[in-house]
Amino acid sequence: MSSSSALPHGEPHGEQHGEEDPHSNPHLAHHFDSMETQNHASRLGMWLFLGTEVLLFAGLFLGYSVYRHFYPHTFREASRHLNLVMGTINTIVLISSSFTVAMAYYSVKKGRNKAAAALLAFTILCALTFLCIKGFEYHHKFEEGALPGKWFHFQEMEGMPGANMFFTVYFLSTGLHAFHVIVGMAILIWVLRRLLRGDFNPTYYIPVELGGLYWHLVDLVWIFLFPLLYLI
Amino acid sequence: MAHDDKIKDDKEHAHEHGPGRYFVIWILLLVFTLTTVVTGRMDLHGANLPVALLIATIKATLVVLFFMHLWDSEGINRLVFGVSILFVMVLLLGVFGDLLTRSPAALPLGAPVPALDDSAPVVPEHAPRMNP
Amino acid sequence: MNQHADSSALAPTEARVYQEINYLNADRGVASWLKTLDHKRIGVMYFVSVLLAFLLGGIFAMIVRLELTTPEPTLISANTYNRMFTLHGMVMIFLFMIPAIPGVFGNFCLPLMLGAKDVAFPRLNLLSLYVYWTGSALVLWGVITGGADTGWTFYAPYSTTTPMTLFPVLFGVFILGFSSILTGLNFIVTIHTLRAPGITWMKMPLFVWAIYATSIIQVLATPVIGLTTLLVGIEKVGGFGLFDPGRGGDPVLMQHLFWFYSHPAVYIMVLPAMGVMSEIIAAYARKNIFGYKMIAYSSLGIAFVGFFAWGHHMFVSGQSPFDDGAFAVISMLVGVFTAIKVFNWVGTLYRGAIYVSGPFIYACGFLFFIVFGGMTGIAVATVSLDVHWHDTYFVVAHFHFIMVGAVIMAFLAAIHYWFPKMFGKMYHEGWSMVAAVFIVLGFNATFIPQFLLGNAGMPRRYYMYPERFTTLNVFSTAGSTLLAFGFIIIAIYLIWALKYGDIAGPNPWNSKGYEWLTSSPPIKENFEHTLDYPEEPHTYHEPGEEVEHVVI
Repeated sequence: MSSSSALPHGEPHGEQHGEEDPHSNPHLAHHFDSMETQNHASRLGMWLFLGTEVLLFAGLFLGYSVYRHFYPHTFREASRHLNLVMGTINTIVLISSSFTVAMAYYSVKKGRNKAAAALLAFTILCALTFLCIKGFEYHHKFEEGALPGKWFHFQEMEGMPGANMFFTVYFLSTGLHAFHVIVGMAILIWVLRRLLRGDFNPTYYIPVELGGLYWHLVDLVWIFLFPLLYLI
Repeated sequence: MAHDDKIKDDKEHAHEHGPGRYFVIWILLLVFTLTTVVTGRMDLHGANLPVALLIATIKATLVVLFFMHLWDSEGINRLVFGVSILFVMVLLLGVFGDLLTRSPAALPLGAPVPALDDSAPVVPEHAPRMNP
Repeated sequence: MNQHADSSALAPTEARVYQEINYLNADRGVASWLKTLDHKRIGVMYFVSVLLAFLLGGIFAMIVRLELTTPEPTLISANTYNRMFTLHGMVMIFLFMIPAIPGVFGNFCLPLMLGAKDVAFPRLNLLSLYVYWTGSALVLWGVITGGADTGWTFYAPYSTTTPMTLFPVLFGVFILGFSSILTGLNFIVTIHTLRAPGITWMKMPLFVWAIYATSIIQVLATPVIGLTTLLVGIEKVGGFGLFDPGRGGDPVLMQHLFWFYSHPAVYIMVLPAMGVMSEIIAAYARKNIFGYKMIAYSSLGIAFVGFFAWGHHMFVSGQSPFDDGAFAVISMLVGVFTAIKVFNWVGTLYRGAIYVSGPFIYACGFLFFIVFGGMTGIAVATVSLDVHWHDTYFVVAHFHFIMVGAVIMAFLAAIHYWFPKMFGKMYHEGWSMVAAVFIVLGFNATFIPQFLLGNAGMPRRYYMYPERFTTLNVFSTAGSTLLAFGFIIIAIYLIWALKYGDIAGPNPWNSKGYEWLTSSPPIKENFEHTLDYPEEPHTYHEPGEEVEHVVI
């Protein structure tokens, strides 16, 4: 590894494996010795970031667990007042979007950029669908008065202990999740733009991989939110 | 570079499997989703929560291992994810250690109260009046 | 670069040469600094920023101490007093203590210690600095528009019902959390992927191990405080009632979430300080570090166990006695790991060839304060004792012993150790020793009376107090003035040294740390050539070799 900035590109100092000089790859940063190391670093960085997201949602899952423990009958009853059909559709939408984004990553690895673009676009569409359905659900809740804290005036559950607490937890968790859906969508749109610009090929596709990882996290959180809020 | 993380080179990442793997996992996820929807609203006599959590965990594991490629990935990534899950458990354990052993005076109104003997917690019959 | 110098020779063997073209002047202009990707420049910008934050936090502290000089109202109203101690805590913890050693010395030294050219993600590094500035600006805006009066712990239900606009301060803390996460993430990846060939895990300097353990905590714990500030803010603004007993909520839940971060946070503050100490003690005792592996593993141990101990802040909050006991026992374990380190440091000093200078005096202070701070920590972790000490000055004294006595001593030691490397100049060592003595004495005078006050029953965060506590309070305020005086002296001779100091040369301390293997100040690319690392860090003599026992 040479640290001298005067070294011209293409000088064969990296020919240990009979490969091209790694530093002729424009994607390789000056402080990494190889693309493998750099990609590994990018992936590790992303997993660390996903770890922080897990801990972030952990607090909300804790809130759910605590108040479910305190008000088990109320929480069971309240889940019946959420729209199971919409929730199930949203779950299927997110799971399928995870599938398509994984396929998009696979396609780019294989050099099938057109297929990848279509798959990414479909993923983004799924995200939008999720948000729209969520919007309908929220609207319905507003009309019913099934709202958090001091806004709660849901006739059908009036008087049940902790009823407002269920909807507080519902809005906080699905709200934070929806925020992450929006962010994930923005990331995927950015990745799609770069894909359409021709930035990616079978030797360089790490942003697609990282964007996909973030999207999968969004799916993961919903996989737990759905049964806890809508089903049991 | 001295890196004891055993980095799998990109060839290993690329040629391990075909696209069929993703399709199979997707189908499995849909099947498990159907299962949880059906069992979720049934009355399983207290087993609803564990069953739902079990199914969700299986689904999540499938997504993490195969869609997120942790199955093929370097050990350190798996350690990172595993440790974050572990600390979520620590948070839950510490707080529930408190909740389950508190005296009734320190619990919210309407919450189950530990009985004086070892029988099941007593749930108040009537909801106490909450602040408007 | 001759690193095989006679270990008893104190005068550095390399000529004292100032690296003319270095990272400070390689690119010129303010824009080049604001857009830099150089970890060293980012470290310097963090340095200036945290020192300003320290000044602000220190001003709040002086106002608190001056108010407490008399039992009656002295200078300010009660409401203002509440805001002063709140802001002292918030500014010191979030704007200074958490970012300081990692942000300044982690950034500057980590790549040098690993033989790397930069951290793994230089752009994220710059982003972490911008995020730090943004969060700090928000907190400052909050300070100006009335601040917060909840104590730095902003417990619900007071924080959710106080008429003060907490929003800018809370949001600022939320943003600052991201800076911490980005820094930690960057350092973990750097340590995993950018070690030079020859630097294996067990050949990394101990400061790197400390930063590694710190970064793990930063990444795992900080999101929880982010969520907590968010939830308290939402509850305050939206009346969501998550922690409101009147709506079926549990205020103790807020405390669980708060302390799940804030207890590991104290290890974010202390672990880097311990890492600095390992470097300094080995260098100034000119002796191999005693028990390298144990120090490395105990850093990880503290990080791990630190996550299981948060409930010891909640012994009298309504937490169940069962949890009280469990958290108490686990908290004691941290003492084991800390003790391991203290024994190892003392073992390093034993029969060393000690060079007494500013950093060494700070190291002595550090050892003394961490022992007493740590032991009083074990004492307050005992539930039956804490029932009496909780929310008294005993606790205040305990954590200031660690946060100021240990961490700030280490921060000052780090400044005095690495200043020649960062700026290529030497400060006046005589004055550094004078200042160090003032700081150590001033610290004792400030905080030992507080142990006595707390034990006698004086509550913390109280505006007025009974007459009988006056003498000790006056003593404490006098001590804080001495402390402040010491800091002012440091500022003066360091600024003077920047311009007029003697040339330091690559290795004025003849230290075996890897960062000394390059010029002072370092060139932008860090190293001229790739280096070999045949020796382990902190190796001053072969094992079994007779050490010349010299004290200078």
